[in-house]
Amino acid sequence: MAKKPSMGRQKIKIAKIEVKNHLQVTFSKRRSGLFKKASELCTLCGVEIAIIVFSPAGKVFSFGHPNVELIVERFLNLNPSATTNSFHLMEAQRNVTVRELNMQLGQILNELEMERKRGEALDQMRKSNQSHYWWEGPIDKHELEQLQDAIQELKKNVGGQVAKVMSQVATYSLLLGPDDGGKDGVFDQYEIKPGQVFVGSNAVVGNNNFGYCHGFF
Amino acid sequence: MTRKKVKLSFITNESSRKATYKKRKKGLMKKVSELSTLCGIDACAIVYSPYESTPEVWPADPRDAQRVIAQFRRVPEMEQSKKMVNQESFIRGRIAKAAEQMKKLQKYNREKEITHLMYQCLTGKGLQGLAVPELNDMGWLLDQNLKEICKRIETLKKEEAPPSGRAALEQKPAVEESGGMERAPLQQMWFSDWMGNPSYQQQQQQMGGLLGYGCGGGASGGDGMILPFNDGGNHNTAAIWCNGFFP
Repeated sequence: MAKKPSMGRQKIKIAKIEVKNHLQVTFSKRRSGLFKKASELCTLCGVEIAIIVFSPAGKVFSFGHPNVELIVERFLNLNPSATTNSFHLMEAQRNVTVRELNMQLGQILNELEMERKRGEALDQMRKSNQSHYWWEGPIDKHELEQLQDAIQELKKNVGGQVAKVMSQVATYSLLLGPDDGGKDGVFDQYEIKPGQVFVGSNAVVGNNNFGYCHGFF
Repeated sequence: MTRKKVKLSFITNESSRKATYKKRKKGLMKKVSELSTLCGIDACAIVYSPYESTPEVWPADPRDAQRVIAQFRRVPEMEQSKKMVNQESFIRGRIAKAAEQMKKLQKYNREKEITHLMYQCLTGKGLQGLAVPELNDMGWLLDQNLKEICKRIETLKKEEAPPSGRAALEQKPAVEESGGMERAPLQQMWFSDWMGNPSYQQQQQQMGGLLGYGCGGGASGGDGMILPFNDGGNHNTAAIWCNGFFP
């Protein structure tokens, strides 16, 4: 049974946290959340904010929009807001960048979520197929050796299949000649250039020993 | 209270914007206050808006705020800058973190995927129609498994105990000095790690899965990659299976 990723929302008492470890973790998370909220407020309402926070370890974290110093100085009456035209221009530019960054962030967070779901689906699949795989239960030495043989056999076959496919590819690309521009079809997963043979997703140029060394790492 | 997803852009409707500002500002101050209390730390927040002539400040008493600011200014400038962000750098940081997580997750999922494929092939699925990346990755995984099995077999041979029924072997592939009798040369293989543990930075002591994804304790021989097995730090790379694939 898969563990739940976290405890979910728990109501906590607003008083200093006893356990040092919890305290540090809480600080880290909440500080990050605080800055996030501040950033959102700036974007949504066009306000200027500065936040200064000291960590339990004594390090200082700060968030400022447009920047910490400006706000602090203004607050201390050292610099009554002198906004010039160029300031507004910079501000507009910054906002464009921020908007784009926010979009980018949204995108990658979505992708992350999808990948997580994919992981869960894979877990499910494995769980439901568990009974088919005899090696997942307790096995003895004899069975271990059988497994070893099975794996070796498969490995041999895989090697053979790779060689077979690669030679097909080589032939195919030779027939096509140079600059066929995107007619790869079934070989879309990796690039083929005439005269070269690419192995796997981490292309190793001109390496014809079909090394597995990198695989998906 | 609305729970609709709010679009993160400047609110053009004036009254809507003002309302949002009021709510969120209040919420922000509450969060600062909570952070300060929960963690027993000093904090300060200043908000300037077109709606109020004076800034909104926490702590409410400006002298308290000034105290924190003074504390801040006493910190050497380099230290100040280290953890100082503005909107842009803050968001960039979040993007970078998310990208990092994505990379790890993709690796992790890929391994699950290939392991599943391998299981299928071991139980009869044909290799036709598999693309080269899958074949290569599976080849790599097969090699890893072979190494591990080899080690386990060696261990079992050394132990010389007569097989006595089935039981799960506790752990390290290193030879255990528990003497022949109870110790049956039995192995259990599993995936329990990535089944039970959502975090993909796993470092458990326990049993390494023999097939597929076990404990990713260390980066043995890799660029920080999560290896499928925890062989207890016993990196015997005297390649037992010398073949054309591993130079």
